[in-house]
Amino acid sequence: MTRYAMVIDLNTCVGCNACMAACAMENQTPVWKNQWRTYVHDKEIGFTDQVRRRFFPRLCNHCSNPPCLTVCPTGATHKRADGLVLVDPERCMGCRACAMACPYGARYEVTYEDIRAGREFYGDLQRDDPSMDKCSFCSHRVEKGRKPACVETCVGSARMFGDLDDPADPVAQIVASGIAQPLMPHLGTRPNVYYIDDMKRRG
Amino acid sequence: MDAMTYTTQNIWTWWIAMYLYFGGLGAATLSITFLTDMYCRPHRSLVLWGAVSGVVLLGLSSAVLFGHLLHHAAVIYVLTPLAFINKPDSWIAWGTQFILWMMVWGMVYALPYMRETESFTRLPVVGRLINTPVAAAVARFCVRWRSVVGWLATINGVGTAVYTGLLLQSFPAVALWHNPGVPLLFTVSAFSTAFAYLLLLMHTFIRSEDDQDLRHRYELLDVILIASELVILFSFFNYTLSGSESGYRSAQLLWHDWGWLIGFIGFGLIVPFLLELRNLTGKSFSRMATVVSALLVLTGGYLLRHYFMYAGVYAYPW
Repeated sequence: MTRYAMVIDLNTCVGCNACMAACAMENQTPVWKNQWRTYVHDKEIGFTDQVRRRFFPRLCNHCSNPPCLTVCPTGATHKRADGLVLVDPERCMGCRACAMACPYGARYEVTYEDIRAGREFYGDLQRDDPSMDKCSFCSHRVEKGRKPACVETCVGSARMFGDLDDPADPVAQIVASGIAQPLMPHLGTRPNVYYIDDMKRRG
Repeated sequence: MDAMTYTTQNIWTWWIAMYLYFGGLGAATLSITFLTDMYCRPHRSLVLWGAVSGVVLLGLSSAVLFGHLLHHAAVIYVLTPLAFINKPDSWIAWGTQFILWMMVWGMVYALPYMRETESFTRLPVVGRLINTPVAAAVARFCVRWRSVVGWLATINGVGTAVYTGLLLQSFPAVALWHNPGVPLLFTVSAFSTAFAYLLLLMHTFIRSEDDQDLRHRYELLDVILIASELVILFSFFNYTLSGSESGYRSAQLLWHDWGWLIGFIGFGLIVPFLLELRNLTGKSFSRMATVVSALLVLTGGYLLRHYFMYAGVYAYPW
């Protein structure tokens, strides 16, 4: 079996936002209203001379127990055998329950107005129906053996993508070592995006 | 600066509060009127008022949700009973079916009464519809299987009321919502507001001296439900004070808000509780006190859902 996962190293993310740009172009997200499938939060942490900036990329965590899937009334949100959690826009009625259920703020709306704006902005828009949207781990690229656009474009190699069920995969090894941890595991969502915390290296 | 971010949401706001409020109120109203008709005494006026207003409230509830959908055509996937097979784990799928079948069985239950009521038979479209041979056959079926139809409606009504709480409970990130108290609180509130609504009807549009015992019983049950609601809210207060930062911040939002404290707890629960208690235990009965307390309970029911929606706090690790 394959179980795709991503590891994000907060120590090497430089906040260049290239991942956001690459994802937006690849997946035609409604950037005109500041909605992204992946977003890099820029935060100052600490006081006075101890203050530092932390860049925190976030995206759909493709949970193994996704609350967005169980609340979805139409079955638009579905999980593949390889662990990817996807949305079928034709089947999504846009009740937004998935956005309420997601602890990672990964969902956003694509409205009729966004589709009109998207046709002007991107030209050949790949969708016809409004729906809730989110990161797909670039499933269309992964199916062709390529990595997600955000991973491929990351200048600091902060994002790594791989198969947790393959012991030889570097991502599986990092996760198995325990240095990378999922976000809010106590919620029982079993996320498949892991973070290497920058705090540990600063002592 | 804290590395965590705590924030409320602006995805489901007042319109979902309206959806939950109308849904719970309409469903509980239908259930109470049918149970009264089946087990207290047959009551044509109450069933007609309850069924029509219940169905209108459920229709309003559904219309509010439908109006806010992003992709209206896809709603077809939850309207057919296949929703149970496709998505048995989704409470919205269950809730939609509960609401739909509640409306169907509600109308079927009231049909025999409609057919023998002049104000219905005289209505332009409705009058013709309820006098068709099909409607006559459905009415005969309902008379023969009255308890079965009544219980089917009641089960769907209780299901709808419970669903309004289960929906919020299914969001794990927010401590205020993701706990077993929410379905209980919303169910108790739905039945309390329904009793208040029916008391209002029985003191305004359905004014019959024969209903004195029913009014007394409704008021007694409403007082018990309001008291239960206060107990549940007190346990919510204790639950949110510690255990999780999300819950604690929700508590700070709610218990520092005058709208919640004075508007909902004060005028929506405590004042009507005291007014109704006075009516039940005092030597003199005041119709005005019942009407005022019913109006306050109805307003409080909405305020509960409104503040609950706005006070849910998400904790993001960025």
